[in-house]
Amino acid sequence: MKKQVIIFQLNGEPAEIHIDPAKSLLKVIREEFGLYGTKAGCGKGECGACTVLLEGQAVNSCLIPAGKINGCSVETIENLSRGEDIHPLQKAFAEKGAVQCGFCTPGMIMSAYAFLKSNPRPQPPEVRTAISGNLCRCTGYKQIEAAILAAAPEMDKENKG
Amino acid sequence: MSYLVATSLEEALTYLRDSGGRARVVAGATDLYLKDLPHSLVDLSALPGASVIEEADGLITLGACLTHASAASSILILSRATALAEGCMAIGSPQIRNIATLGGNVVNAAPAADAAVALVALGASAVLVDTGGRSREEAVEDLYVIFNRSAVDSTSEILLKLTIKSCGTGEGSAFTRFAPRRALSLPLVNAAARVRIENGCFREVRLVVAPVKPAPTRLLQTEAMLEGMAPCEETWRLVERAASEEVEVRSSLLRCSARYRNHLVGVLAARVLQAASERAREEEGVDGR
Repeated sequence: MKKQVIIFQLNGEPAEIHIDPAKSLLKVIREEFGLYGTKAGCGKGECGACTVLLEGQAVNSCLIPAGKINGCSVETIENLSRGEDIHPLQKAFAEKGAVQCGFCTPGMIMSAYAFLKSNPRPQPPEVRTAISGNLCRCTGYKQIEAAILAAAPEMDKENKG
Repeated sequence: MSYLVATSLEEALTYLRDSGGRARVVAGATDLYLKDLPHSLVDLSALPGASVIEEADGLITLGACLTHASAASSILILSRATALAEGCMAIGSPQIRNIATLGGNVVNAAPAADAAVALVALGASAVLVDTGGRSREEAVEDLYVIFNRSAVDSTSEILLKLTIKSCGTGEGSAFTRFAPRRALSLPLVNAAARVRIENGCFREVRLVVAPVKPAPTRLLQTEAMLEGMAPCEETWRLVERAASEEVEVRSSLLRCSARYRNHLVGVLAARVLQAASERAREEEGVDGR
């Protein structure tokens, strides 16, 4: 396979790799950069475990060929916390019992993160639509919805502050 | 493989020409990426105007690389081509809608692709250009060869844009689907309609259901029957029967039994016509005030 140079921005930092452009963004993130927070689930865009932000929008990283990210910004779950200081969404997920096995959690949080950035005061049905591309087989979604609704004002405050 | 993100149409066409059929065009890549990838891909999503939404002289022009998320949230599409906004919103999940495109939905040629079904109901045309510099314009429903195979050869032709006559006074459109789940689920049946209501009666109805044939399928007999009829309960009952009788469907392990699908075709045809005619009347009321 012919390799290409891909230059992009990963979690706010410039990144450059020499790689087969057919490789998925998911593999780039995990295998080239060792960022294992983004999970590999179904591999075909159905479970949402691999959700990251591409140009600020939630996407399934398993469906994005590396060639497509040239010149783009990519944000993963690792970019949300600042050391010990965790993100309001992460805090709310812990407090509301929205995490059991945890496998869906990074993808779920990235979908919620992208959603809340443009919808600071969401209604419950909007939250449900926002996470409709993320499967959870443990908690049953109620706690996840509650966590996202609880995190909304905190995240809004942080963004304004 | 090689991957080119084309920045001009000329660059994309030259690349296709030089690759002698070994390169093909891609936009969102969400469908293609799950299949066998070709030798090279030419990504069109960064082309100038690739994601444009504009209206001039009653004609809406949409760039073929417009994502379903952008189309579903466009005020212009929501108000003047409502069926398309609803069809786009039904596709996949938020993550898929953020990357998958209208052009891809058409050229991937799945028989019941939600956006394509809405486009056919709205009477959309596709503007294409090939590596020989030839340009053509085709009705979207004429771009299907057999199941899952488009008449657009992605190794030598590019779907540039889609055009739709915008819905004006007395006109309305709607899309609906029936599926096991609300997200990430193939429809058992989907349906879309565009109608004009004049003096309380149907004129120029376009009613489309899928999957029935390789392309989203207009129910021409039911459309003809509706001409001059009033949107009312009695009409919906007649539509249910006429639409079910007009289609011939197969049982499918992927979707459902033929009998059930046949029933759904009638029910959804009536529902979507009702929704479209209500919008047409609102439109008439607003503009006639």
